[in-house]
Amino acid sequence: MKPATRTRRFVAFLAERLPAEKMSLQAMVQKKEVPVHRWSWAYYLGGLALFFFVIQIVTGLMMLFYYEPSVATAHASVEHLTNNVPGGALIRNLHAWSSSAMILSVMLHLLTTFAMKAFGRPRELTWVSGVLLLFLVFGFGFTGYLLPWHQIAVNATKVGLGSIEQFGEYLPGDLADLPRQIRETIQGGATVGQATLSRFYAIHVVVLPLISLGLLGFHLLSVQLHGMSPGVDRPTGRTEKFFPLFILKDLKVWGVVFLMLAVVAICIPFDAFLDYPLGAPYNPLGSTPDGIKPEWYFFWMYYPLELLPFWLVAGGMGVLQVGLLLVPRIFRGTSRKVLRTLAAAAAVYLIVITLFGQAIYEMFSGGH
Amino acid sequence: MRARLATISLTLALLPLAGPAHAHPEFEKAIEARSGRTIDCAFCHAHPDGPEGVHAGQIGALSPADMQALNRARTAFEPGTEVDSPILNDFGDHLVTALGKKRLVALRQAPLKMVDELGDSDLDGDGISDAQEMLDGTHPLMRHHGAPWSLFVVNLQRSWFEIVMLIIATFFGVYGISHLLRWFGHEARGALGGEEDPKDG
Repeated sequence: MKPATRTRRFVAFLAERLPAEKMSLQAMVQKKEVPVHRWSWAYYLGGLALFFFVIQIVTGLMMLFYYEPSVATAHASVEHLTNNVPGGALIRNLHAWSSSAMILSVMLHLLTTFAMKAFGRPRELTWVSGVLLLFLVFGFGFTGYLLPWHQIAVNATKVGLGSIEQFGEYLPGDLADLPRQIRETIQGGATVGQATLSRFYAIHVVVLPLISLGLLGFHLLSVQLHGMSPGVDRPTGRTEKFFPLFILKDLKVWGVVFLMLAVVAICIPFDAFLDYPLGAPYNPLGSTPDGIKPEWYFFWMYYPLELLPFWLVAGGMGVLQVGLLLVPRIFRGTSRKVLRTLAAAAAVYLIVITLFGQAIYEMFSGGH
Repeated sequence: MRARLATISLTLALLPLAGPAHAHPEFEKAIEARSGRTIDCAFCHAHPDGPEGVHAGQIGALSPADMQALNRARTAFEPGTEVDSPILNDFGDHLVTALGKKRLVALRQAPLKMVDELGDSDLDGDGISDAQEMLDGTHPLMRHHGAPWSLFVVNLQRSWFEIVMLIIATFFGVYGISHLLRWFGHEARGALGGEEDPKDG
């Protein structure tokens, strides 16, 4: 193919995905219709994820006034925020609970979008930006976990970063040292310490939010340009106005969810789920307490890593990540029925491994 | 004089019961088995690795004054003696004060019986008694640490007024923003030209 033809095709591809003629308030808001059918509830999941993201930014900014990103004072500053600052415990709980809620809603949004085949032409870039946003929220979770600098934070980060180095065993020649270099670049030294905390802090509060805002902007623009996908094989023909009808319903859902989140944040401290030694300040000279594991949203890869050979799980994760980005191409001709079955299987796996992962692990590892 | 001699004799006779200052793993094991949660010596002691060692809260780091306080605590055989041991945290002191050293040592045979004798003290004020926190494996001195469902029930009762206010504020907030959006939609339709107001129920 000639370069000129390739360029023309690329421009045509972009023009179809980002149609300039639709970039008007009328097209994107006033005339936009939302299909009504039995899967309509799934249209609210993206908005929910956005809502939780906004809560993350607001509560995160509030905590920035008190948090000190130093290994000597990080844990004490979080304790001070929780125990002495008026409303500090509530803000911290809101941040912790809404981060889990955001990741849950992003995962559900991805599964329902897949099941409804909402990634089809011309929404491929919407899907890809959504998958990248999913990776980013996992990045937020991983980097934010370290910041309180307690036992589980530091030890779980060590385990997470340590798994990067294991890739070296499967690489030939000089490449075998590359994962170690990557690990040390991320952690800023030979071990997890002040440099790691500084880097994770910068990534968590500056780098990831900026990238997220850019990607989110593109994702939302793309959704508004193309509208909601039909989502079902036989549309009911019924639709409702996006503005103000759907937005008003969205707002009510946000109101209810905010109340639920606030009640949970007021009544159940997120740390109550941790065994208390795990919340103690990290002591490099002390013994590592039992029960070190990542947050629940990493269980889907943590338990397989504990039970299966590393190369198998790492390879599977790599295939999964690339596969997710290529979904619009791989499943272009697949029926919604098959997609729903695949999404249901993925959902069952996620639920089972999250709720019963520990029991499964103990069963196969002989109770250790 | 005779009474003082009797006290000294009794102290000397019971001193071996106190034994060396060390953590009692029987309690730790029983609590972990009952609750399914991991705990450590910091449940009752000042240091998470127990009293033996040279770090703050361990015997090797005690000053002469601290050693005197430790010896006083080690001779608190009967309940009711106020204890302020440098190697125990407030909960450990409370246990010795409430039960006495002699009873504590005896309870090593059946550690969870202790909860029946602790009463309804709640040192961290989180609304869950210290005895229940022992059974749950949650720290009796951490206000934010407790069985999640128990904390939910307690805090719901404590914060019901704030929650009612929150519900009212959220309702009015959503009501206000909804009407603002409707007005905005109406104005936009007027400016851009469009259909009639949709019914939104």
